[in-house]
Amino acid sequence: MITPEILAKYKVTIGIECHVQLNTKTKLFSGADNDARNKEPNAVISPIDFGLPGMLPVLNKEAVILAVRAGKALESDIASVSRFDRKHYFYPDLPKGYQISQLYEPIIIGGVVRVPQEDGSVLDVRIHHAHMEEDAGKLTHYSDYSLVDLNRAGTPLIEIVSEPDMHSAVEAKAYATELYRLMTYAGVTNGDLYQGNMRFDVNISIAPLDAMELGTRAEIKNLNSFRSVERAAEYEYRRQADLLEKGERVIQETRGWDDAAQKTVSQRSKEDAQDYRYMPDPDIPPLRLTEDEIALYQSVVPRLPQYYRDAWRDLQLDRSVADSLLARRAIAELIEAVRVQAGSAATKHVAHWFASSLSDETSEITVGQDDAPRFIELSNMVTANELSSTAAKDIFNELLLGHDSPRIIAERKNILQVSDTGAIAAIVDEVLSDPASAQSVADIKEGKDKAIGFLVGQVMKRSAGTANPGLASQLIREKIKDL
Amino acid sequence: MISRDDVAYLATLSNLQLGEQEAADLQQDLEHIIEYIHQLDELDTSGVEPTYQVSGLENVSRDDLIDTYGLAPEALLALAPLAQDNQVKVPKVL
Repeated sequence: MITPEILAKYKVTIGIECHVQLNTKTKLFSGADNDARNKEPNAVISPIDFGLPGMLPVLNKEAVILAVRAGKALESDIASVSRFDRKHYFYPDLPKGYQISQLYEPIIIGGVVRVPQEDGSVLDVRIHHAHMEEDAGKLTHYSDYSLVDLNRAGTPLIEIVSEPDMHSAVEAKAYATELYRLMTYAGVTNGDLYQGNMRFDVNISIAPLDAMELGTRAEIKNLNSFRSVERAAEYEYRRQADLLEKGERVIQETRGWDDAAQKTVSQRSKEDAQDYRYMPDPDIPPLRLTEDEIALYQSVVPRLPQYYRDAWRDLQLDRSVADSLLARRAIAELIEAVRVQAGSAATKHVAHWFASSLSDETSEITVGQDDAPRFIELSNMVTANELSSTAAKDIFNELLLGHDSPRIIAERKNILQVSDTGAIAAIVDEVLSDPASAQSVADIKEGKDKAIGFLVGQVMKRSAGTANPGLASQLIREKIKDL
Repeated sequence: MISRDDVAYLATLSNLQLGEQEAADLQQDLEHIIEYIHQLDELDTSGVEPTYQVSGLENVSRDDLIDTYGLAPEALLALAPLAQDNQVKVPKVL
């Protein structure tokens, strides 16, 4: 049994490699369509992806530009010269017999991801490097044969390699989450985790607290959600601690994450370690980038998450609220537009509406910063008592779906709060003259103030919920005094 | 020197199954090739940059535009020895 006391005897060390799929129109070295979603197998393939003899792969310029942008988000240096190498292995998911990658001189060097922690502190995770490479195809295994779909073969990726700077499963998850935000904000990937647009390999080892050296590590491959990164790291921490406690040793190996069983399983041992026989790829000439080019490509990188955290500090939003707003760049931009145009109070209104409606991470969001005026108007209507909070929530949901102004929606739904004294006074008179109200009126006169609730309820009912309840209760008091 | 184990290792990396005679022949061939290449050891290469490329080209790239190369996927699939359900059919590998 692994107890917290046992775990506390060991220090865990985690480094993460992340494959990020670049959102180009075509593949890294061929003009085949890079969008394989909802397509038949082998619908987006070219002679180059098929590895036909004599084909010449040619580098996609846009993939280079996106990698340079990613480098800005990672605070990295961009290599003035980078090169491509062949990584050899024989497996049907890459018909060429090698993957074109960058081993010796990658495009992105160094860098840091500043990871916000639960307690408000920041963990700096250093980036060793990031390189460009092509993705492999997909194999489906049957009893005595396999089928090969090369739609994804040649899709451009950058692989971001962190230093082993994380020391808990929570930190690993926080890093993965912030890396996701950085890459989606920088606009280099669509960030569709379900489609495998970002895949994490977690390297993890443990060692006694006083050990000078790191323990033997295991690598858990192909995690495609933040939660699986956290759970796999936590499971692996316990598994390795258990082995060491029993006097056994951790073997260096690749493991997979079984999401159904919530555990890692051995896939292959590094004892028969892969020998990829890397060599410079003679097909792809070196890539030279000038300072001016790098500056130009990076000039279009939009504001990154930390900008918004700093800008919103004075709003004192709950961390969970801020996190849900930051999950998508379009929402962060919209909230910031509201803040700049209308100030703190309106921003808090809008921020909380969004935070409570964004629980479903997969829901499609079509609004952006250009919609800020509509959300500001909604906030103003609430402040002016024209809408109840329930009605405001209702209209907010409609603002997400269409282009109508909140006032038009409120009028159409007939939920504008009536704050017209005359109109409410007429309803109050009706209610007070109703024999059913006599008991409550008598109670109030005797000082049982709570009885006013019933009367206000009657006013709301007769006004079909549109009366301003504060105003109704004030009028009721005045009228009863005069009775 | 190329040992029989080296040949077996290379065969494994290349997914090749070699017969006894093939392995013996390859061992000899490889040894001759390595011997030939070793002539380079006679040269003093200190101060010579490694040769990554011989073309002298730099920055060869293309715009991000879809190109079908005038070929339908069916034409490519037809080149495979075996195909099934729009996929290339291969012997079970793992």
